[in-house]
Amino acid sequence: MATSHGSTTSDSAVSTLKSEVPSIADEKSNNRQHGRQQIGADDETPLSVFLSTFKAARTQWVARQVIIMISLLFRLGVGLGQYSGFSDPPMHGDFEAQRHWMEIAYHLPMNEWYWYDLQYWGLDYPPLTAYHSWVMGAIGSKIKSSWFALDTSRGCENINLKSYMRITVIISELLIYIPAVSMFVRWTIKNQRLSPLHHSIASAAILLQPALILIDHGHFQYNAVMLGLSLLAITNILMDKLVVGSVFFVLSLCYKQMALYYSIPIFAYLLGICIFPRLNLSRFISLALSVLVTFALVFAPIILTSGGGLKGPYYQIVQILIRIFPFARGLWEDKVANIWCTLNTFVKLKVLYSADTLQRLSLVTTLVSVLPAFILLFLYPRKKALLWGVSASAWGFFLFSFQVHEKSVLLPLLPVTLQLAGDPGMNAQSYIYWINNIAVFSLWPLLKRDGLALQYFVISFLANWLMASFTKLPDSLLGKCTIILSYAGIVGLHAIEFLIEPPSQYPDLWVVANIILSFGCFAIFLLWNYIQLYRACRTPV
Amino acid sequence: MALKCSLLPALRYAVVASICFKLLLYPAYRSTDFEVHRNWLAITYSKPLKEWYYEDTSEWTLDYPPFFAYFEWFLSQFAQYVDPSMLVVGNLDYASTTTVYFQRTSEIASELVLVYGLQNYISLLPDNNRQPAYAIAMSIYFSPGFLIIDNIHFQYNAMLFGILVLSLVAMKQQRMLLGAILFAVLLCFKHIFLYLAPAYFAYLLRVYCLDLSALSRNRSLGVIRWKNSIWLGLSVISVALIAFGPFIYLGQIPQIFKRLFPFSRGLCHAYWAPNVWALYSATDRVLFLVLRKVLKNPLYAEDAASLTRGLVGISSFNVLPDVLPRATFLLTTFYQLIALIPMIINPTHDKFVSALTLCGFASFLFGWHVHEKAIMVVIVPFSFLALKDRRYLTPFYLLTVSGYISLFPLIFTSPEAPIKYLYMFAWIFAFYNVFDGLAPVRTTHRVFLLDRIAHVFLLGFIPLLLFVALYDKFAIFSGLEFLRLMLISTYCSLGIIGSFVGFSWLYLFA
Repeated sequence: MATSHGSTTSDSAVSTLKSEVPSIADEKSNNRQHGRQQIGADDETPLSVFLSTFKAARTQWVARQVIIMISLLFRLGVGLGQYSGFSDPPMHGDFEAQRHWMEIAYHLPMNEWYWYDLQYWGLDYPPLTAYHSWVMGAIGSKIKSSWFALDTSRGCENINLKSYMRITVIISELLIYIPAVSMFVRWTIKNQRLSPLHHSIASAAILLQPALILIDHGHFQYNAVMLGLSLLAITNILMDKLVVGSVFFVLSLCYKQMALYYSIPIFAYLLGICIFPRLNLSRFISLALSVLVTFALVFAPIILTSGGGLKGPYYQIVQILIRIFPFARGLWEDKVANIWCTLNTFVKLKVLYSADTLQRLSLVTTLVSVLPAFILLFLYPRKKALLWGVSASAWGFFLFSFQVHEKSVLLPLLPVTLQLAGDPGMNAQSYIYWINNIAVFSLWPLLKRDGLALQYFVISFLANWLMASFTKLPDSLLGKCTIILSYAGIVGLHAIEFLIEPPSQYPDLWVVANIILSFGCFAIFLLWNYIQLYRACRTPV
Repeated sequence: MALKCSLLPALRYAVVASICFKLLLYPAYRSTDFEVHRNWLAITYSKPLKEWYYEDTSEWTLDYPPFFAYFEWFLSQFAQYVDPSMLVVGNLDYASTTTVYFQRTSEIASELVLVYGLQNYISLLPDNNRQPAYAIAMSIYFSPGFLIIDNIHFQYNAMLFGILVLSLVAMKQQRMLLGAILFAVLLCFKHIFLYLAPAYFAYLLRVYCLDLSALSRNRSLGVIRWKNSIWLGLSVISVALIAFGPFIYLGQIPQIFKRLFPFSRGLCHAYWAPNVWALYSATDRVLFLVLRKVLKNPLYAEDAASLTRGLVGISSFNVLPDVLPRATFLLTTFYQLIALIPMIINPTHDKFVSALTLCGFASFLFGWHVHEKAIMVVIVPFSFLALKDRRYLTPFYLLTVSGYISLFPLIFTSPEAPIKYLYMFAWIFAFYNVFDGLAPVRTTHRVFLLDRIAHVFLLGFIPLLLFVALYDKFAIFSGLEFLRLMLISTYCSLGIIGSFVGFSWLYLFA
């Protein structure tokens, strides 16, 4: 009994499928009538075969719930693996950092949050993360107080604590990110008049995005909260609920400052629709007010309780800003597939230039890289263009800005992956799946260090196989060559790493190769992304 | 049975998706059964055949029939290249990463037998009418039971049930001899399938060995189909000889039987399987506590049951009369005979599968020292009948929910807890919606009130599970630890008994 896997399955299956699952064929003819090409519906994938069971309108919502449950199950499955910094004293890793913030948020008064023992995982995210930690620390302390006891709980690795922490990630995601995705997909389906089956397929494609699952539920972080808030912002803006959208965006910024990656295009779009086609001053004022009020409300508790007379609030704000924007920590910390790390392989940047120069250099390059997105969205504030602008800017920030972590690749990935909800066509799909794979690959050194190799391979395989993404190639020859060559590079690097020890004078050789390959692909994708943005802005409506 | 080299696409997709999930369960909790199977790998690899059933370095001695031992020997031939240390008998509780990966992988690979069986089952039907068969096959393949018992707890049940499905498919195709051989093979893998043996025996006797139409033609000698009977006898005996032959030669049969049927065990397992005896024991406990604590009856000052509780389970009671093995045997046989009669009168394949299900039910509900895992012996045959018509759905839902939830206490560690709850819920949600859409409606004889009661009963699991999960938080229950498991097994046993009654009524009278 031979089961063939991966890319070959869907090819060979297509002929037999038509007789097996007549519903797919029906769906196909429907799509033809609409003159549309949709993911999963026009080309049979394992996912569309599963979902065809629920094609009756009555059971459509069943399909959507099942998809959410299945994506949660895979998250729970990944969660059985190790997390970052497991049994790695004294500092451990991100898991311990998050746990530690729950500990200090629950036990200390607010005005000490950003000051307490900064050498041991001092809080370096904005206040909403701290409030979130406070809630989880409070609930966790009710379950078992020793998990979050002040100071004595450092490095706690109780198995039940791990389960609790994993569950908090799942629940946070279930409350924010998953509804945001559903809302976004629902709006897109309605807006583009796509089929209900497509709704389920698109939700699955977005919810099973491998990078987010591996980082949040394997490595351990709460990125889905920030991404979900940003997505709620984008969706509300697309639905013309601009005030709600900007409130959500501020919340996202107040959860993790990395949401700044999205800020320039969102600002450009909002500014654009306030000015074109005619100046709309009341809209502009209401947006400005909602942003300021939200910021004020989020920061108010922590500032009002800061004490220390009149100077207290000032010091508190400065301290929060210093913690959130750690310019003192250098251009980059760990190896990450951005331009600085890649250049550093050939030119020792940190030796040649002062930190100040590098800072200014990175500021200029980042601005230059996101400027086209700003101008285009400002002049053409179109819904179709918003996501492309957001992703272009996020890629710009990821590739050129200061203090980027490899995990930040999740930010540009989100708007790119969201394109699958719409009607991007086979050509765009191939690029989107490709860049998702490159991004997961760029996370490999981190995941390998965390002991998540099994989860890395399983989840990447699953996502690609479900969407039959390896069978999809772009139209242009150049695109085909790029994708095939980069995949060959990935396979080759994995094989080499498995078989050969790196030479002793370059212990990081395989990691460096990973970074260079990933950076190259990301840069190419940024260019392609800009072409899409330009087209979305310039094609006549 | 032509060996098909390719799987049906939908089934193949299901296999790949499910394997992806099961790979993620590699680091999950594993019970002592993992060590049991590692020990058997070691025994069969490093000991000569004649010592297999005598070896007792580990407390987890070999207590499955010989085919399973051969299977372990077969696996050990691969294991030696993965990590030879796992094959050392004295290496108790050895669980290196490679050992875990090897054993879990071998289990996932062995599940392909079940997939193959289900593929043959689906292929019985014409191309355009496969929806119900697909639904049933998927519900078995994705069963939370297999996930809990095989992929987390660790056993090789899916493979064995694959053989059972293959046998049922052969029976459906009127290839009785093949069906009988496969069932004999199955018995030589795991003797728990003896629960189902009466139905096989009676059905084969009735349709394959006897020709009752000869009676009406007044040819009493022709009643027995001699050729069939001899073939059947020869093939079943040769399967048994292949399995037990070497041990017969070595004169070890009494030792093997001592291992296979340890009668010294109690009526109930340490955790009561949700059957009649769970209710009986629960009643006894409640009466005892009332008599001792409330009425202060001096006769009941000492807890006799607690003396015999533990690994072997309960065998004596405080208030109610003790139950003898003979009584359980008689009850089981009685209910099995009742199940066989309609099948003997009207021997269709559906009646046979019904009788099989009821034999499983009878053994599970009334048997001696039943394990909760044995509920799969009932659920799998029942699944094939679930879509006969709508009336079967209610007993099916009662059985699956109660049966699977009764398996929950097997997994008591916190990382896996959300997985068992969510997987179970997703399974119920998806398959009940699909089944509801597929089962043909037959409005006559449908008792809506009973359906309602069943639904209310099923909803009762939600507060029950919540209560059990938060049990430690209620201070008043400290010192009553047994209550937690007792609640699950008694409530589940009510559901399973309800399903038994409902299904019997449909089978006997509808």
